[in-house]
Amino acid sequence: MSTDVKKSWLASRLPCPAKESGHCAPTMERGRRYGATLPTLISATVLFLLASGLVQAVYYNPAHGFDSIQFILRDVNSGWLIHAFHVTGATMLFAAVYALLFRDIYRRAYKAPGELVWLLRVKLYALLLLVGWLGYALSDGAVSYWSLTGAANAATGLSGVAGAVGRWFFGGPNGAGTVARLEVFHAVLALTVLVTLGAQRCAARALARQAPAPKNPVSCHPYYTAQTFAALSVFALIFAVLVFFAPHFGLNHLNTAASDTLVVPAVLSPPWYLSPVSAVAGVFATAGGGIFGVVAMLAVLAALPWLDRSGTSNKRGKLYRLLIGLLLLDVIGLGWSVSDPACTAAGSLTLVFTIWYFFHFLVLTPLVTALEAE
Amino acid sequence: MRRIFAPILAVGLLFGAAAQAEDTLSPLHWQSQGSFGSYDKAAVQRGFLVYQTVCASCHSANALHYRDLEALGFTPDQVAGIASSVKLADGSPATLNDVFKAPGVGAAAFGGALPPDLSNIETSRPHGLHYIYGLLTGYAAAPASVTLLPGRFYNTAYPGNQIAMPQPLKGNEVTYADGTAATLPQEAADVSEFLAWSADPNLNARHEVGLRAVLFLLFLSIIAIATKRKIWRETV
Repeated sequence: MSTDVKKSWLASRLPCPAKESGHCAPTMERGRRYGATLPTLISATVLFLLASGLVQAVYYNPAHGFDSIQFILRDVNSGWLIHAFHVTGATMLFAAVYALLFRDIYRRAYKAPGELVWLLRVKLYALLLLVGWLGYALSDGAVSYWSLTGAANAATGLSGVAGAVGRWFFGGPNGAGTVARLEVFHAVLALTVLVTLGAQRCAARALARQAPAPKNPVSCHPYYTAQTFAALSVFALIFAVLVFFAPHFGLNHLNTAASDTLVVPAVLSPPWYLSPVSAVAGVFATAGGGIFGVVAMLAVLAALPWLDRSGTSNKRGKLYRLLIGLLLLDVIGLGWSVSDPACTAAGSLTLVFTIWYFFHFLVLTPLVTALEAE
Repeated sequence: MRRIFAPILAVGLLFGAAAQAEDTLSPLHWQSQGSFGSYDKAAVQRGFLVYQTVCASCHSANALHYRDLEALGFTPDQVAGIASSVKLADGSPATLNDVFKAPGVGAAAFGGALPPDLSNIETSRPHGLHYIYGLLTGYAAAPASVTLLPGRFYNTAYPGNQIAMPQPLKGNEVTYADGTAATLPQEAADVSEFLAWSADPNLNARHEVGLRAVLFLLFLSIIAIATKRKIWRETV
């Protein structure tokens, strides 16, 4: 074997594919917005969550889920801080993912040739919903216990292959060993989030290489590293404010009590980042216990590149932008409608918001994009 | 850093000391409220006395150990004394590492309404401090329009207004060592502060670390944004 003398010892033995052309080469377009740093913020938050999750995993005892979290909060050195990092990290991660999805919808970044990046983003969102819900179930509180019971009953009650997978996943109705299984899935699926992020990064890079070379390019460093650092600093500032001064932000306070197998709390709202999906699942409660609703919600989102009928036209109409604004309000409304049971109209509002969500993607999007492209 | 924060902390302590001396009942407030709140150790110690004398005879607090009381400003000897004065179910005195003694009485003794565990009662109720205070001071004669269920008592703060717990505090259940008059509002306010500590024992550290972290990140963000703008201004 001949060793290339120009390459280092490691590079000759471990050739990395698609090595970057260097951070100092002027290859990048000017005027990139702060929003373009969102994938970096998401990756950083995922790594942060993995680290804080690892620390908690060594103390967490699935046989006594709630009590072991109390142990982490009260008796482990700085356990309260690590726990708050993890809980608020989930809030920050979902905030960034929701922002990224809406940014892509607004900019129509999902259109060809960006479909794969978009599909990977929807996959990331779906995975995070599952991992986030599993973490919520691990908290073993008075509210999450009933979410887990409902989901386990629905999944084990399904027929055919879906039911077989559901019974394998939960191991039957919510019982003594269920949380132990979910702890494993929470950790393993969290690692697959990293794989999805890596694939998304590769696909986005490939997309960037296809784009025509910019006329007046700048180098990544120092121009965009400075921008990313500024975005990270502000992100960390918001994170710190929430961790230290609003550690229960967006969470159901009833969940800070221990689960009780005989008492269903009055308010069953999930964490804020799961609530839009939870609302849609509630509307489809009779069809496969809400699982159908969640799958349908994600499926129309994933189908967006093909629901947009504007073809290769780059015209951007005002009506479509208005509809995206309405969609944002609609998703916020969905989340709000399950978090405020005191509002008697909440049930019918959830139905209206759900209908609008599907009407937006399945009817308005093809119609308006086709009309505006002409 | 310490040099920078010492004056800020000193000013904070000054206001803190002033808050202790003043009457916290009119208007009703607690030192632990707000973004920069911290526990009033004197109030939490008084609240523990009320808890131990009244609440603990029916309620458990399974997340608390006797050793945790040192955080309230009790000396190790005082905490050891508190623990050893508690007789466990087998008759032996409790140690520092024992969980707060549970009453160990079944729901049947309470007409089917098992008293809830009090460890996290304040975070699991909306506006916990005000709710507990309102509940403890909210007992009243039922209005003529209300027919009470058997074994229920009228309470203005409890959802539905009919509570199974008989009025636990009427005033003067305890004698405070610091000479504070043990009126009903004073006892209710003190035990609310104690239960706030029990639900969130790290609040002082959280606010202390949080202030430093936020100030640091605030300056870092300003510098990072200024740097980015300067770098971009130099490109042509």
